[in-house]
Amino acid sequence: MLLALFHILIFPGMLFLGAYALVFSFIDRKLYARLQNRRGPRWYQPLADFLKLLGKETIIPEHADKRVFVFLPVMALAAVTAAYLYIPIWSSTSLYPFEGDLIVLLYLLTLPTLCFFLAGWYSTSVYATIGAVRALTQLFSYEVPLFMALLAPALLADSWSLSGMTAYYSTHPLYLLINIPAFLVAVIACQGKLERVPFDLPEAETELAGGTFVEYSGRLYAIFRMAIDCELVVVASLISAVFLPFYPAGAWAGFGVYILKTLVILFILALLRSIMARVRIEQMVAFCWKYLTPLALIQIIANLLLKGVLA
Amino acid sequence: MAKNILERAVDWGRRKSPWIIHFNAGACNGCDIEVVDALTPRYDLERFGILQQGTPRHSDVLVCTGAVTLQTRDRLKQIYEQMPEPKFVVAVGTCACTGGIFDGCYCVSGGIDSVIPVDAYVPGCAARPEAIIDAVVKLLSALEAAQKAEPSEQ
Repeated sequence: MLLALFHILIFPGMLFLGAYALVFSFIDRKLYARLQNRRGPRWYQPLADFLKLLGKETIIPEHADKRVFVFLPVMALAAVTAAYLYIPIWSSTSLYPFEGDLIVLLYLLTLPTLCFFLAGWYSTSVYATIGAVRALTQLFSYEVPLFMALLAPALLADSWSLSGMTAYYSTHPLYLLINIPAFLVAVIACQGKLERVPFDLPEAETELAGGTFVEYSGRLYAIFRMAIDCELVVVASLISAVFLPFYPAGAWAGFGVYILKTLVILFILALLRSIMARVRIEQMVAFCWKYLTPLALIQIIANLLLKGVLA
Repeated sequence: MAKNILERAVDWGRRKSPWIIHFNAGACNGCDIEVVDALTPRYDLERFGILQQGTPRHSDVLVCTGAVTLQTRDRLKQIYEQMPEPKFVVAVGTCACTGGIFDGCYCVSGGIDSVIPVDAYVPGCAARPEAIIDAVVKLLSALEAAQKAEPSEQ
Protein backbone atom coordinates (compact mmCIF):
# COMPACT_ATOMS: atom_id res chain seq x y z
CA MET A 1 0.00 0.00 0.00
CA LEU A 2 2.68 2.50 1.04
CA LEU A 3 4.91 1.35 -1.81
CA ALA A 4 2.07 1.83 -4.30
CA LEU A 5 1.47 5.34 -2.95
CA PHE A 6 5.19 6.05 -3.28
CA HIS A 7 5.05 4.84 -6.91
CA ILE A 8 2.03 7.00 -7.69
CA LEU A 9 3.07 10.19 -5.92
CA ILE A 10 6.86 10.33 -5.97
CA PHE A 11 8.71 7.91 -8.22
CA PRO A 12 8.02 7.27 -11.05
CA GLY A 13 4.66 9.00 -10.56
CA MET A 14 3.73 12.65 -10.18
CA LEU A 15 6.83 14.25 -8.64
CA PHE A 16 9.46 12.62 -10.85
CA LEU A 17 7.29 12.89 -13.97
CA GLY A 18 6.60 16.58 -13.25
CA ALA A 19 10.28 17.37 -12.68
CA TYR A 20 11.36 15.42 -15.75
CA ALA A 21 8.61 17.12 -17.78
CA LEU A 22 10.00 20.54 -16.80
CA VAL A 23 13.52 19.46 -17.79
CA PHE A 24 12.16 17.99 -21.03
CA SER A 25 10.26 21.15 -21.82
CA PHE A 26 13.39 23.24 -21.21
CA ILE A 27 15.54 21.03 -23.47
CA ASP A 28 12.84 21.16 -26.13
CA ARG A 29 12.64 24.96 -26.02
CA LYS A 30 16.43 25.36 -25.89
CA LEU A 31 16.94 23.07 -28.89
CA TYR A 32 14.21 24.93 -30.75
CA ALA A 33 15.95 28.25 -29.98
CA ARG A 34 19.42 26.99 -30.92
CA LEU A 35 18.09 25.62 -34.22
CA GLN A 36 16.71 29.13 -34.92
CA ASN A 37 20.12 30.65 -34.04
CA ARG A 38 18.81 32.16 -30.79
CA ARG A 39 20.20 31.89 -27.28
CA GLY A 40 16.98 30.49 -25.90
CA PRO A 41 15.44 30.43 -22.42
CA ARG A 42 17.30 29.97 -19.14
CA TRP A 43 17.33 26.55 -17.49
CA TYR A 44 14.65 27.38 -14.91
CA GLN A 45 12.23 28.92 -17.44
CA PRO A 46 9.53 26.16 -17.44
CA LEU A 47 9.55 26.17 -13.62
CA ALA A 48 9.18 29.97 -13.52
CA ASP A 49 6.29 29.80 -16.02
CA PHE A 50 4.57 27.12 -13.95
CA LEU A 51 4.95 28.98 -10.63
CA LYS A 52 3.80 32.25 -12.18
CA LEU A 53 0.67 30.66 -13.63
CA LEU A 54 -0.07 29.06 -10.23
CA GLY A 55 -0.01 32.51 -8.63
CA LYS A 56 -2.21 34.24 -11.18
CA GLU A 57 -5.91 34.98 -11.01
CA THR A 58 -8.08 32.18 -12.43
CA ILE A 59 -10.94 33.45 -14.56
CA ILE A 60 -13.86 31.16 -15.39
CA PRO A 61 -16.03 32.45 -18.26
CA GLU A 62 -19.57 33.39 -17.33
CA HIS A 63 -21.27 30.99 -19.75
CA ALA A 64 -18.88 28.07 -19.20
CA ASP A 65 -19.91 25.01 -17.19
CA LYS A 66 -17.89 25.68 -14.05
CA ARG A 67 -17.49 22.13 -12.72
CA VAL A 68 -16.46 20.63 -16.08
CA PHE A 69 -14.20 23.63 -16.77
CA VAL A 70 -12.28 23.01 -13.54
CA PHE A 71 -12.34 19.20 -13.81
CA LEU A 72 -10.88 18.83 -17.33
CA PRO A 73 -7.25 19.96 -16.68
CA VAL A 74 -7.05 17.67 -13.65
CA MET A 75 -8.44 14.78 -15.69
CA ALA A 76 -5.86 15.34 -18.47
CA LEU A 77 -2.98 15.39 -15.98
CA ALA A 78 -4.31 12.31 -14.14
CA ALA A 79 -4.61 10.29 -17.37
CA VAL A 80 -1.06 11.12 -18.42
CA THR A 81 0.36 10.31 -14.97
CA ALA A 82 -1.52 7.00 -14.89
CA ALA A 83 -0.13 6.09 -18.31
CA TYR A 84 3.42 6.70 -17.10
CA LEU A 85 3.11 3.95 -14.46
CA TYR A 86 2.83 1.30 -17.20
CA ILE A 87 6.04 2.29 -19.00
CA PRO A 88 9.23 0.39 -18.18
CA ILE A 89 11.85 2.83 -16.93
CA TRP A 90 14.86 1.20 -15.30
CA SER A 91 14.29 -2.47 -16.22
CA SER A 92 12.56 -4.40 -18.98
CA THR A 93 9.31 -4.68 -17.01
CA SER A 94 7.17 -1.80 -15.83
CA LEU A 95 5.94 -1.57 -12.24
CA TYR A 96 2.53 -3.11 -12.93
CA PRO A 97 2.92 -5.18 -16.11
CA PHE A 98 0.07 -7.25 -17.54
CA GLU A 99 -0.79 -8.73 -20.92
CA GLY A 100 -2.31 -5.85 -22.91
CA ASP A 101 -0.73 -2.87 -21.14
CA LEU A 102 0.30 -1.42 -24.52
CA ILE A 103 -3.37 -1.08 -25.49
CA VAL A 104 -4.33 0.44 -22.12
CA LEU A 105 -1.45 2.91 -22.46
CA LEU A 106 -2.62 4.01 -25.90
CA TYR A 107 -6.16 4.57 -24.63
CA LEU A 108 -4.94 6.48 -21.56
CA LEU A 109 -2.97 8.72 -23.93
CA THR A 110 -6.13 9.43 -25.94
CA LEU A 111 -7.85 10.88 -22.85
CA PRO A 112 -5.88 14.18 -22.77
CA THR A 113 -6.87 14.91 -26.37
CA LEU A 114 -10.52 14.36 -25.47
CA CYS A 115 -10.02 16.68 -22.48
CA PHE A 116 -8.58 19.35 -24.81
CA PHE A 117 -11.62 18.98 -27.06
CA LEU A 118 -14.08 19.25 -24.17
CA ALA A 119 -12.10 22.15 -22.66
CA GLY A 120 -12.46 24.09 -25.88
CA TRP A 121 -16.10 23.12 -26.23
CA TYR A 122 -17.09 24.12 -22.69
CA SER A 123 -15.22 27.44 -22.88
CA THR A 124 -18.05 28.76 -25.10
CA SER A 125 -15.63 30.97 -26.99
CA VAL A 126 -15.55 31.00 -30.79
CA TYR A 127 -11.77 30.58 -30.97
CA ALA A 128 -11.84 27.75 -28.45
CA THR A 129 -14.68 25.98 -30.27
CA ILE A 130 -12.83 26.06 -33.60
CA GLY A 131 -9.73 24.75 -31.82
CA ALA A 132 -11.78 22.00 -30.18
CA VAL A 133 -13.29 20.85 -33.48
CA ARG A 134 -9.82 20.82 -35.02
CA ALA A 135 -8.48 18.77 -32.10
CA LEU A 136 -11.14 16.15 -32.72
CA THR A 137 -10.69 16.14 -36.52
CA GLN A 138 -6.98 15.70 -35.96
CA LEU A 139 -7.59 12.89 -33.48
CA PHE A 140 -9.34 10.82 -36.14
CA SER A 141 -6.44 11.35 -38.55
CA TYR A 142 -3.29 10.64 -36.53
CA GLU A 143 -4.70 8.09 -34.10
CA VAL A 144 -5.09 5.31 -36.68
CA PRO A 145 -1.52 5.41 -38.08
CA LEU A 146 -0.11 5.91 -34.57
CA PHE A 147 -1.94 2.87 -33.17
CA MET A 148 -1.02 0.73 -36.19
CA ALA A 149 2.62 1.80 -36.03
CA LEU A 150 2.89 0.98 -32.33
CA LEU A 151 1.02 -2.32 -32.64
CA ALA A 152 3.01 -3.62 -35.64
CA PRO A 153 6.12 -4.45 -33.54
CA ALA A 154 3.82 -6.08 -30.99
CA LEU A 155 2.35 -8.30 -33.75
CA LEU A 156 5.80 -9.53 -34.69
CA ALA A 157 6.67 -10.17 -31.03
CA ASP A 158 3.36 -11.95 -30.49
CA SER A 159 2.72 -10.10 -27.24
CA TRP A 160 0.48 -7.16 -26.28
CA SER A 161 2.61 -6.15 -23.31
CA LEU A 162 5.73 -3.98 -23.31
CA SER A 163 7.68 -6.48 -21.20
CA GLY A 164 6.77 -9.35 -23.56
CA MET A 165 7.92 -7.30 -26.55
CA THR A 166 11.17 -6.43 -24.80
CA ALA A 167 11.79 -10.10 -24.01
CA TYR A 168 11.22 -11.02 -27.68
CA TYR A 169 13.37 -8.25 -29.16
CA SER A 170 16.25 -8.79 -26.74
CA THR A 171 16.59 -12.34 -28.10
CA HIS A 172 16.08 -11.19 -31.73
CA PRO A 173 17.59 -7.67 -31.84
CA LEU A 174 17.96 -7.65 -35.64
CA TYR A 175 14.17 -7.73 -36.10
CA LEU A 176 14.08 -4.18 -34.73
CA LEU A 177 15.45 -2.99 -38.08
CA ILE A 178 12.26 -4.22 -39.78
CA ASN A 179 10.23 -1.80 -37.66
CA ILE A 180 11.99 1.34 -38.96
CA PRO A 181 9.04 2.45 -41.18
CA ALA A 182 6.70 2.07 -38.17
CA PHE A 183 9.12 4.17 -36.11
CA LEU A 184 9.00 6.98 -38.69
CA VAL A 185 5.20 6.84 -38.81
CA ALA A 186 4.97 6.91 -35.01
CA VAL A 187 7.33 9.89 -34.68
CA ILE A 188 5.40 11.93 -37.26
CA ALA A 189 1.94 10.92 -35.99
CA CYS A 190 2.79 11.70 -32.36
CA GLN A 191 3.45 15.33 -33.37
CA GLY A 192 -0.30 15.40 -33.93
CA LYS A 193 -1.02 13.83 -30.55
CA LEU A 194 1.27 16.30 -28.81
CA GLU A 195 -0.18 19.19 -30.86
CA ARG A 196 3.21 20.40 -32.01
CA VAL A 197 4.28 21.93 -35.32
CA PRO A 198 3.46 20.88 -38.09
CA PHE A 199 0.21 19.59 -36.53
CA ASP A 200 -0.41 22.28 -33.90
CA LEU A 201 -3.69 23.29 -35.52
CA PRO A 202 -5.84 23.13 -32.34
CA GLU A 203 -3.62 25.73 -30.61
CA ALA A 204 -2.46 27.73 -33.65
CA GLU A 205 -1.78 30.92 -31.72
CA THR A 206 -1.30 33.04 -34.83
CA GLU A 207 -4.76 32.25 -36.21
CA LEU A 208 -6.83 30.99 -33.26
CA ALA A 209 -5.14 33.06 -30.51
CA GLY A 210 -4.40 29.94 -28.44
CA GLY A 211 -7.17 27.65 -29.67
CA THR A 212 -8.68 25.27 -27.16
CA PHE A 213 -7.01 26.97 -24.18
CA VAL A 214 -8.02 30.50 -25.11
CA GLU A 215 -10.24 30.97 -22.03
CA TYR A 216 -8.04 29.13 -19.54
CA SER A 217 -5.97 31.25 -17.17
CA GLY A 218 -3.98 30.98 -13.96
CA ARG A 219 -3.95 27.72 -12.06
CA LEU A 220 -6.10 25.73 -14.50
CA TYR A 221 -3.90 26.71 -17.43
CA ALA A 222 -0.81 25.76 -15.38
CA ILE A 223 -2.26 22.26 -14.89
CA PHE A 224 -3.03 21.99 -18.61
CA ARG A 225 0.49 23.04 -19.54
CA MET A 226 1.89 20.53 -17.08
CA ALA A 227 -0.30 17.81 -18.63
CA ILE A 228 1.03 18.69 -22.10
CA ASP A 229 4.65 18.65 -20.91
CA CYS A 230 4.10 15.31 -19.13
CA GLU A 231 2.44 13.92 -22.26
CA LEU A 232 5.61 14.73 -24.20
CA VAL A 233 7.65 12.70 -21.72
CA VAL A 234 5.20 9.78 -21.76
CA VAL A 235 4.99 9.62 -25.55
CA ALA A 236 8.78 9.81 -25.90
CA SER A 237 9.14 7.04 -23.29
CA LEU A 238 6.52 4.92 -25.06
CA ILE A 239 8.23 5.25 -28.45
CA SER A 240 11.60 4.45 -26.91
CA ALA A 241 10.12 1.44 -25.07
CA VAL A 242 8.54 0.04 -28.24
CA PHE A 243 11.25 0.73 -30.82
CA LEU A 244 14.42 0.89 -28.72
CA PRO A 245 13.90 -1.83 -26.06
CA PHE A 246 17.46 -1.92 -24.70
CA TYR A 247 17.82 -2.38 -20.95
CA PRO A 248 21.29 -3.09 -19.52
CA ALA A 249 21.58 -4.97 -16.24
CA GLY A 250 21.30 -2.90 -13.06
CA ALA A 251 18.76 -0.25 -12.11
CA TRP A 252 21.10 2.76 -12.42
CA ALA A 253 22.49 1.75 -15.81
CA GLY A 254 18.95 1.03 -17.01
CA PHE A 255 17.78 4.42 -15.77
CA GLY A 256 20.69 6.18 -17.52
CA VAL A 257 19.92 4.40 -20.79
CA TYR A 258 16.24 5.36 -20.41
CA ILE A 259 17.18 9.07 -20.05
CA LEU A 260 19.49 8.82 -23.06
CA LYS A 261 16.84 7.12 -25.24
CA THR A 262 14.12 9.64 -24.40
CA LEU A 263 16.50 12.53 -25.07
CA VAL A 264 17.28 11.10 -28.52
CA ILE A 265 13.53 10.89 -29.27
CA LEU A 266 13.10 14.45 -27.95
CA PHE A 267 15.86 15.67 -30.27
CA ILE A 268 14.07 14.15 -33.27
CA LEU A 269 10.76 15.71 -32.17
CA ALA A 270 12.37 19.14 -31.65
CA LEU A 271 14.09 18.89 -35.04
CA LEU A 272 10.76 18.12 -36.72
CA ARG A 273 9.15 21.06 -34.90
CA SER A 274 11.77 23.58 -35.93
CA ILE A 275 12.18 22.66 -39.60
CA MET A 276 8.47 22.58 -40.45
CA ALA A 277 5.63 25.06 -40.68
CA ARG A 278 2.00 24.53 -39.71
CA VAL A 279 -0.16 22.78 -42.32
CA ARG A 280 -3.85 23.40 -42.92
CA ILE A 281 -6.37 21.00 -41.39
CA GLU A 282 -7.37 19.34 -44.68
CA GLN A 283 -3.70 18.92 -45.62
CA MET A 284 -3.13 17.30 -42.26
CA VAL A 285 -6.04 14.86 -42.70
CA ALA A 286 -5.01 14.06 -46.27
CA PHE A 287 -1.39 13.46 -45.29
CA CYS A 288 -2.32 11.13 -42.44
CA TRP A 289 -4.78 9.07 -44.44
CA LYS A 290 -2.92 9.03 -47.78
CA TYR A 291 0.65 8.44 -46.64
CA LEU A 292 0.96 7.56 -42.95
CA THR A 293 -1.86 5.01 -42.75
CA PRO A 294 -0.82 3.01 -45.88
CA LEU A 295 2.78 2.99 -44.66
CA ALA A 296 1.69 1.64 -41.29
CA LEU A 297 -0.54 -0.90 -43.06
CA ILE A 298 2.38 -2.09 -45.21
CA GLN A 299 4.40 -2.47 -42.01
CA ILE A 300 1.69 -4.63 -40.46
CA ILE A 301 1.43 -6.82 -43.57
CA ALA A 302 5.22 -7.17 -43.74
CA ASN A 303 5.36 -8.16 -40.07
CA LEU A 304 2.58 -10.71 -40.55
CA LEU A 305 4.34 -12.23 -43.58
CA LEU A 306 7.62 -12.34 -41.71
CA LYS A 307 5.93 -14.02 -38.80
CA GLY A 308 4.52 -16.66 -41.21
CA VAL A 309 7.97 -17.22 -42.75
CA LEU A 310 9.59 -17.56 -39.33
CA ALA A 311 6.92 -19.94 -38.07
CA MET B 1 5.06 39.80 8.42
CA ALA B 2 7.70 38.36 6.10
CA LYS B 3 6.61 36.41 3.06
CA ASN B 4 6.62 32.64 3.25
CA ILE B 5 8.54 30.49 0.80
CA LEU B 6 5.52 29.85 -1.46
CA GLU B 7 4.76 33.54 -1.91
CA ARG B 8 8.42 34.24 -2.63
CA ALA B 9 8.49 31.44 -5.24
CA VAL B 10 5.47 32.91 -7.01
CA ASP B 11 7.05 36.39 -6.88
CA TRP B 12 10.20 34.95 -8.44
CA GLY B 13 8.11 33.27 -11.16
CA ARG B 14 6.39 36.57 -11.93
CA ARG B 15 9.71 38.33 -12.43
CA LYS B 16 11.17 35.59 -14.61
CA SER B 17 8.27 34.83 -16.91
CA PRO B 18 6.42 37.88 -18.24
CA TRP B 19 4.21 36.87 -21.15
CA ILE B 20 3.15 39.72 -23.37
CA ILE B 21 0.23 40.51 -25.60
CA HIS B 22 0.56 43.20 -28.22
CA PHE B 23 -2.29 45.61 -28.89
CA ASN B 24 -2.42 48.33 -31.52
CA ALA B 25 -4.61 51.13 -30.19
CA GLY B 26 -4.31 53.23 -33.34
CA ALA B 27 -0.63 53.37 -34.18
CA CYS B 28 0.79 54.12 -37.62
CA ASN B 29 2.34 50.59 -37.57
CA GLY B 30 5.86 51.95 -37.03
CA CYS B 31 6.00 50.93 -33.37
CA ASP B 32 4.21 47.63 -34.12
CA ILE B 33 6.95 46.66 -36.53
CA GLU B 34 9.50 47.48 -33.82
CA VAL B 35 7.64 45.36 -31.24
CA VAL B 36 7.58 42.45 -33.70
CA ASP B 37 11.24 43.13 -34.43
CA ALA B 38 12.05 42.79 -30.71
CA LEU B 39 10.47 39.31 -30.76
CA THR B 40 12.58 38.04 -33.68
CA PRO B 41 15.59 35.72 -33.22
CA ARG B 42 17.97 38.71 -33.57
CA TYR B 43 16.88 40.19 -30.21
CA ASP B 44 15.50 36.92 -28.75
CA LEU B 45 13.26 38.03 -25.88
CA GLU B 46 12.88 34.40 -24.73
CA ARG B 47 16.22 34.97 -22.93
CA PHE B 48 14.22 36.92 -20.34
CA GLY B 49 11.37 34.42 -20.40
CA ILE B 50 9.22 36.72 -22.52
CA LEU B 51 6.79 34.91 -24.80
CA GLN B 52 4.15 36.42 -27.01
CA GLN B 53 0.68 35.06 -26.32
CA GLY B 54 -2.35 35.26 -28.54
CA THR B 55 -4.95 35.69 -25.81
CA PRO B 56 -5.20 38.23 -22.95
CA ARG B 57 -6.10 35.37 -20.57
CA HIS B 58 -2.53 34.02 -20.72
CA SER B 59 -0.71 37.35 -20.66
CA ASP B 60 0.89 39.39 -17.89
CA VAL B 61 2.05 42.45 -19.81
CA LEU B 62 -0.06 44.42 -22.26
CA VAL B 63 2.23 46.09 -24.81
CA CYS B 64 0.29 48.99 -26.34
CA THR B 65 1.24 51.15 -29.28
CA GLY B 66 -0.31 54.32 -30.69
CA ALA B 67 -2.58 57.08 -29.52
CA VAL B 68 -5.96 55.75 -28.39
CA THR B 69 -8.61 56.49 -30.98
CA LEU B 70 -12.27 56.67 -30.01
CA GLN B 71 -12.82 53.48 -32.06
CA THR B 72 -10.35 51.39 -30.06
CA ARG B 73 -10.95 52.93 -26.61
CA ASP B 74 -13.60 50.43 -25.52
CA ARG B 75 -11.70 47.50 -27.04
CA LEU B 76 -8.53 48.49 -25.19
CA LYS B 77 -10.45 48.68 -21.92
CA GLN B 78 -12.06 45.29 -22.62
CA ILE B 79 -8.73 43.60 -23.43
CA TYR B 80 -7.23 45.06 -20.25
CA GLU B 81 -10.12 43.77 -18.16
CA GLN B 82 -9.86 40.30 -19.72
CA MET B 83 -6.30 39.90 -18.41
CA PRO B 84 -5.99 38.05 -15.08
CA GLU B 85 -4.34 39.85 -12.12
CA PRO B 86 -1.52 40.79 -11.61
CA LYS B 87 -1.08 42.65 -14.89
CA PHE B 88 1.12 45.41 -16.26
CA VAL B 89 0.92 47.83 -19.17
CA VAL B 90 3.80 49.12 -21.28
CA ALA B 91 3.14 52.08 -23.60
CA VAL B 92 5.47 51.86 -26.62
CA GLY B 93 6.14 54.98 -28.68
CA THR B 94 5.57 58.70 -28.24
CA CYS B 95 1.92 58.49 -29.33
CA ALA B 96 1.22 55.80 -26.74
CA CYS B 97 2.92 57.87 -24.02
CA THR B 98 1.22 61.22 -24.60
CA GLY B 99 -0.82 61.10 -27.76
CA GLY B 100 2.12 62.52 -29.72
CA ILE B 101 1.28 64.56 -32.79
CA PHE B 102 -2.29 63.24 -32.65
CA ASP B 103 -2.95 64.76 -29.23
CA GLY B 104 -6.03 66.96 -29.33
CA CYS B 105 -7.25 65.45 -32.58
CA TYR B 106 -11.07 65.14 -32.80
CA CYS B 107 -10.97 61.32 -32.89
CA VAL B 108 -8.22 60.72 -30.31
CA SER B 109 -8.63 60.48 -26.55
CA GLY B 110 -4.87 60.84 -25.85
CA GLY B 111 -2.17 58.46 -24.65
CA ILE B 112 -2.75 54.95 -23.32
CA ASP B 113 -2.88 56.34 -19.75
CA SER B 114 -6.02 58.28 -20.62
CA VAL B 115 -7.86 54.92 -20.64
CA ILE B 116 -5.96 52.38 -18.52
CA PRO B 117 -3.13 52.69 -15.95
CA VAL B 118 0.35 52.43 -17.48
CA ASP B 119 3.41 51.01 -15.68
CA ALA B 120 6.20 51.83 -18.15
CA TYR B 121 6.61 54.38 -20.91
CA VAL B 122 8.90 53.91 -23.91
CA PRO B 123 9.25 57.16 -25.87
CA GLY B 124 10.51 57.25 -29.44
CA CYS B 125 9.14 57.58 -32.94
CA ALA B 126 9.34 54.75 -33.57
CA ALA B 127 10.68 53.23 -30.32
CA ARG B 128 13.74 51.08 -30.98
CA PRO B 129 13.65 47.35 -30.07
CA GLU B 130 16.54 47.93 -27.64
CA ALA B 131 14.46 50.59 -25.89
CA ILE B 132 11.48 48.22 -25.63
CA ILE B 133 13.66 45.44 -24.15
CA ASP B 134 15.23 47.95 -21.75
CA ALA B 135 11.78 49.10 -20.63
CA VAL B 136 10.61 45.55 -19.95
CA VAL B 137 13.78 44.72 -17.99
CA LYS B 138 13.41 47.97 -15.98
CA LEU B 139 9.76 47.13 -15.34
CA LEU B 140 10.83 43.74 -13.98
CA SER B 141 13.47 45.26 -11.67
CA ALA B 142 10.90 47.82 -10.44
CA LEU B 143 8.56 44.89 -9.82
CA GLU B 144 11.26 43.17 -7.77
CA ALA B 145 11.71 46.28 -5.61
CA ALA B 146 7.94 46.56 -5.14
CA GLN B 147 7.67 42.87 -4.22
CA LYS B 148 10.39 43.28 -1.58
CA ALA B 149 8.66 46.33 -0.08
CA GLU B 150 5.11 44.96 0.03
CA PRO B 151 3.99 42.96 3.09
CA SER B 152 2.75 39.37 2.99
CA GLU B 153 -0.79 38.79 1.76
CA GLN B 154 -1.70 36.87 4.90
